Amino acid sequence: MRIVTIPASLDDKTLDVLAAGIGEWPPSEGLLFDARAAQWASPYGLTALLTLGQSMAEAGLTTPKLTVPENDDVKSYWARAGFFHAAAECFELVGRVPKKPADPPSDVLLPVTPIRAFEDVINVVGRIQERAQRILTSELNLAPKATMGFGMCFSETCQNIVEHAGTGGWVAVQTYNWRKRLGRKVVVIAVSDSGMGFRRSLEATEAKKVGDRWGDGAALELALLQNISRFRDPGRGQGLAGIRRYLGRWQGKISVRSGTARLAVVPSWDDDEPLAEYLPFFPGSQVQITIPAQEAGPT
Amino acid sequence: MMQRIDLAPMLRETLTTPYSDMVTRSTGVALRGRIEQAISGASHRTTQLNFTAVGLLDFSCADEVVAKLLLRVADEEEHFVVLSGITDSHLDAIDHVLERHGLSVASLGEGEASARVLGVTTPDVQTAFQAIQRLGAGDAKRLADALSWTVERAADALQSLALRRLIQAAGGTYRPLSMP
Repeated sequence: MRIVTIPASLDDKTLDVLAAGIGEWPPSEGLLFDARAAQWASPYGLTALLTLGQSMAEAGLTTPKLTVPENDDVKSYWARAGFFHAAAECFELVGRVPKKPADPPSDVLLPVTPIRAFEDVINVVGRIQERAQRILTSELNLAPKATMGFGMCFSETCQNIVEHAGTGGWVAVQTYNWRKRLGRKVVVIAVSDSGMGFRRSLEATEAKKVGDRWGDGAALELALLQNISRFRDPGRGQGLAGIRRYLGRWQGKISVRSGTARLAVVPSWDDDEPLAEYLPFFPGSQVQITIPAQEAGPT
Repeated sequence: MMQRIDLAPMLRETLTTPYSDMVTRSTGVALRGRIEQAISGASHRTTQLNFTAVGLLDFSCADEVVAKLLLRVADEEEHFVVLSGITDSHLDAIDHVLERHGLSVASLGEGEASARVLGVTTPDVQTAFQAIQRLGAGDAKRLADALSWTVERAADALQSLALRRLIQAAGGTYRPLSMP
């Protein structure tokens, strides 16, 4: 069994380090993911980690092991964010796991939640809506219209799992105070699925048209920037288009990783690279949406 | 007479959900099926989709319930669809899907006294639509006089409105749609 170390801080950037540690896909031997030294993980990191376990289970590989963080605060936080409860489905957990307390931390708008069918999307949107509106209005100073837009983005992002992935996925929502990076609070939606990914989803209809450049990056560009969907229906592809329109209005950011590429629509407050290709492979697709507090609001 | 379809109760019946959010494409498909059934079983020429008490509306559901319904209705002669009970939280999604399909619809916002055109529109079309709602039935000259436009400009706007089923037109005259 090979040991893969979970980065101390697991987020959208360090996921590439984790992916590199896994190496070839599917892995040819059993894996033990070592999170003992983990200090922090974003919703993106936690949902992606679950995707990893789910992908290995769906590929019929040996159930991977996951050693839980040693730091009690980190362990407690991951438990309250719903991670261990979900991880027990696809990992053999090594180490003492705290019982999941009834209430998630106050900054967690939605703990890690599975999305497998449209009904899950409907229920989770209904559940989160009232609390999200209250927090987004009071803490992020978003106008009521913007909080509704948040709900739309959330719904469309979750639906993409059911519509396109061909399997289940995970979603989590959290607020942060990005004091250093932005000087403001943000709300982050993270969605990750273990499905076929954007390239395979669009390959049959788009690969020939694109030609030599066809790959994960080109597929992401078509889906995110040109609203191309594998469905012929002209009404399709509106979800991501609508999300981009909303984020453009509220200076939000969307970043999508699929296979070996990551594409981001980058607002002026961020310096992320718009397209990163030839990254180490990671299964499925990972989406992160970040919406900052409006300038006049509390920081 | 106008057929009124209240979407919030229809949603709860269709999905047996405690929530009033119109979200997901599958929800939209199910709702549109019931709306089309209701339309085909009635003799009214105008159907009012009432959004009162509908919470969130996402793009996919709006595409099915509003845009695709308008496209279906366009195949039928002389059937009109109007929206009512529209709030700010519905506008973005409806406008977005209508623009994507090149469609327009007459809409009355919650608490608003007069209707307006959502989706693809121009200033002349919007102005003419509101004037006709105010003036009632007439012809291009009447509209031109009321807006201090040339008759040609008024006729152009009327033709656009009629093609988009935002007014009822017959033999050079027009009538506003019945609004709630």
